[in-house]
Amino acid sequence: MILELQDIRLSFNNTGQERLNLLNGVTMSIPKGRVTALIGGNGTGKTTLFNIISGFQNDYEGTVILDGRDISRQPAHKVSLMGIGRLFQGGQLLGDLTLMENMKIASEDKTGEWPFTSFFHSNKVKRQENDKEERAREIIRNVISEKYVDRMDRLGSEFSYGEQRLLSLARLLMGKDDKLLLLDEPTSGVNPRYISLIQQIIRKMTDEEGLSVLMIEHNMHFVSEVADYCAFLNEGIIAKYGKSGEVLSDPEVRSSYLGL
Amino acid sequence: MPVIKKELFNMEYTLHVIYLLCIYIMLVLSANLTTGMANLLTMCQAAFYGIGAYIGTLFLFQCNYLFVVIAIAVMLVTGVSSLIVSYASVKLKGDYFVLATMGFQLIVYTILYNWTEVTNGTYGIAGIPGINLFFGAVSLDGIYLNLAFVMLITIAVVLFLYRLKNSPYGRLLKAIRNDDITVEAFGRNTASVKIWAFALSSAIAGLAGALYASYVGYIDPTSFPLKESIFILCALFIGGIGNIEGPICGAAFVIVLPELLRFVGLPDSVAAEIRQIIYGVALVLIMIFRPQGIKGKIVMK
Repeated sequence: MILELQDIRLSFNNTGQERLNLLNGVTMSIPKGRVTALIGGNGTGKTTLFNIISGFQNDYEGTVILDGRDISRQPAHKVSLMGIGRLFQGGQLLGDLTLMENMKIASEDKTGEWPFTSFFHSNKVKRQENDKEERAREIIRNVISEKYVDRMDRLGSEFSYGEQRLLSLARLLMGKDDKLLLLDEPTSGVNPRYISLIQQIIRKMTDEEGLSVLMIEHNMHFVSEVADYCAFLNEGIIAKYGKSGEVLSDPEVRSSYLGL
Repeated sequence: MPVIKKELFNMEYTLHVIYLLCIYIMLVLSANLTTGMANLLTMCQAAFYGIGAYIGTLFLFQCNYLFVVIAIAVMLVTGVSSLIVSYASVKLKGDYFVLATMGFQLIVYTILYNWTEVTNGTYGIAGIPGINLFFGAVSLDGIYLNLAFVMLITIAVVLFLYRLKNSPYGRLLKAIRNDDITVEAFGRNTASVKIWAFALSSAIAGLAGALYASYVGYIDPTSFPLKESIFILCALFIGGIGNIEGPICGAAFVIVLPELLRFVGLPDSVAAEIRQIIYGVALVLIMIFRPQGIKGKIVMK
């Protein structure tokens, strides 16, 4: 197992008086090298669970274990370096940075990112920068298309929403040490042609790069095509977990989530 | 801004204005490092300018042998003093951060004003010695040497910031300005990156303060109030944020413009008020018609 969530509980004060329990003991295991979908209605706490795993929310109870290592309540930047990459809901490229700069910033190598290092270790910085550029081009060429390699100097904001989503997904591959990727609605707002590309990229991530993927997704057709496993979050717990086909055809999931 | 004599076509006076321009280029560039590059709108640049001036004065009186040592000491002290405000407040968002820095500015001003044993309060400190570059062998006397020196320092600061902006650290600051949560998810401790930017920015403002004190020979707290911090920010927004050219243009605008007004022949009392009005109108017009400033590339979010 790549990730284990043990009895994750989170509650907060709603309107100052009522105590609202959002997560009531989420326990689940995410298998290595596979795609697992996390489904559930709006407001059930899926993104909050992602925030807990990736260190953006630390006021919870329970334990998060990544590849045998307890990462509970660690700050987000440390969790990232322990091997978790994340695509945010609606997350796009950084608009003022070129595509190449976007790729470089996603690398875990921080050489030169200290105010004085570029003055005192300029050769090392130059070498690392060249390595990052080479890797960035290779990823874009292999994962998306050669034509984007010629557009590496374009600003992030100059790409369409769908392109930015694709490129943001590819950008995650810059993290060489990543083990698990958390994808929050990778296909939302993306046209069908790009959806099939996103599907291929996710497959490449698991099959060729050996990564594990946990994704939140509302497009059930996409889930059934891409996800090996599926977890249904309802009323603060994982109400169903299993092979995607089984979970999606479960009567409880169909009635309470899909409304069928 | 210090009150300056009105003498048309006076060479020495013109050089004095150029000296002030260099000081303000450094100040506005230092504000750009935080406000423009790291997206931290700061209202306490004059506080660091003041801390630098007073600490510099202290060193100039006590051990005026080697200016490079004094400069490094001043930058270290102002840089470390910036931690008082940055460590606690860089995680605050938007308005709260602005308020925290404004609070720091007011505290520093109050201390300079009231700690009379050290700062001499409202009377200020007079007779500050000029810069001594090397054990009495090279002393900066007169406007020419002082100006040459401050120009060299300004060029060094400009080159340093230009290189910083184009380094991986500059890229990181640019990314943080866009979306610090995404950058955090890429394994960067954005709080520590911002703290560094804040410390560097205050160190540069402190250096400007020490140079100013040694040149003018007299300092008092009224040179470093909140109004001065706002003035520096105005210059930054008029010039434009995020690059190097914008802040230089902004500093030139606010320093050279009042000098041009002198040729109109307005009486002293009117000219001072008109200047404030012109800055205000310029800022409003810039915000409406050219929100990125005269030479800036990005719009403040």
